[in-house]
Order: sequence, then C-alpha cells, then structure tokens
Amino acid sequence: MERRKFLGLGLAAVALVPASLSAVNFRKEKPDAFTAHNVADSIKALYGDIKTEESKDLTVKAPKIASNGGAIPVTIKSSLDLKSVAVFQDANPESAVVVFTIPAGAIVNYMTKIKMKGSGEITVVAEGKDGKFYKASQKLEVALGGCEG
Amino acid sequence: MGNMKIKAKVKGDTLKCKVQAKHIMLPYDAAKKKGVDANFIIQITAKVGDRVVYEASTSQFLSKNPIFKFEAKSEGLKKGDKLEMSWTDLSGKTVTEDKKIKGLK
Repeated sequence: MERRKFLGLGLAAVALVPASLSAVNFRKEKPDAFTAHNVADSIKALYGDIKTEESKDLTVKAPKIASNGGAIPVTIKSSLDLKSVAVFQDANPESAVVVFTIPAGAIVNYMTKIKMKGSGEITVVAEGKDGKFYKASQKLEVALGGCEG
Repeated sequence: MGNMKIKAKVKGDTLKCKVQAKHIMLPYDAAKKKGVDANFIIQITAKVGDRVVYEASTSQFLSKNPIFKFEAKSEGLKKGDKLEMSWTDLSGKTVTEDKKIKGLK
C-alpha cells in the first residue's frame, strides 16, 4: 500500500515538470528508475537489460571515509564519447541519485554532492554513443548518515 | 537572485562552471518525520544562448544546497555570453538565473 502511494506521488511530481525545460527528462521517461530500491533494478529500469564493462576511461572519485553523509562530493570523469551518465548508490531507500544527459561539446568532469544514509557503494553507469555501457564503482564508509535531514 | 550561486569561467578551451543551488532538498523520509511535503530539485539545466551545456535529472539524494561542477568546450563562445542556469523542483517551482562568463575575449 505504501509503495502504491509512493509511486503515485512520483507520477504526480513528474506531471508537473514543464516539458519545454529539457530534451531528455529521465524522471518523466523512466520514473521507475527513480523509485527502484536496488541498484540492479534501477539500472534495468533506466537502460533495460544491459551488460556493463569496466573501463579505465570512466572514473568515479569519492572520499573513502566520509565524515558527513549529508554532503559527499562525488566526481565523475570520463574521456569517452557518452550519451548519458547515471549515478547510483546502495545505502539509501532508493538507489538512483542523478542522471546526467551529456550534451554535445560537454566535457565529462562532473562533481556534485550527494547524501548517503550509511556506508555503501557508489555505482556509475555510462551509456556510450557506441552503444556500449560502462561501469565504475567505489565503496565508501560514512561516519554520520545524512538522510535524516 | 539569491537562489543560486554561479561561477563560470573560460580557461583555455574549457568552460568551467560551479553552481550552488540554494535548496532544502528534503527527501521523503525526512519530510515524513517533519510532517511536511518532500521537496527537492528534479531537473537542472545550464545553457549558453541556445546551447545546452549541462543537464541532469536529479533525485532526493543530493545534498542540501547541492553543488554542481561541470565543464564544457568553450568553442564558439563570445564575449558577453551568459551562463543561464535553471532548476525545477518537486513543487513545480522553476528558478532561472544567469551570470556573465568570465575570461572570454
């Protein structure tokens, strides 16, 4: 019941987003990806049934021990020709954190701060223009969870 | 003003941007405890003129007052160009702010 309600909430939120704002709105197109409860489900909802490969050209950097789970800087770097990059983690109730659409002429050197409830693993999946999927991950420990607001 | 802090600078052939959005980013769990509605940024876009340089669909797990750092090729940018940032949150509020890009000749 609770999950039903929750999904409904998400849909209502999605409906409010003006379509003109962006070309690809992942929250609108793939709402399931943002409500999935584990990383595998979330990846599946976003990209379908895919095979990922490790690549040295895709890196994710985060502190090994984060003192404050409320703001963990995560840096994603890649020299590959990418279409989109998605960030997941497995400590929070839902796993998707952010999905970047990579526009033409962008350099993938992104940093953003995320919240994590506890220790876990950050997984980054990148969709290449060549149709391949790349994956990078990093485990980290969180001293103080940051999801309680 | 006051909803965002924007820094945009061109160095060599790279446009470097740093943006801090002022937003509470309240996830569902915390909102439930407080008895208020969850609210967080769900979409953030950066543009220079018509060209989109950065775009992200975000979830509730970005930090409070999230920081976004990104880069793009500075090819085709002219002096006086502005970086236009806009975000939309769960309540449907959209905020757009721009800032002149530094370092362009």
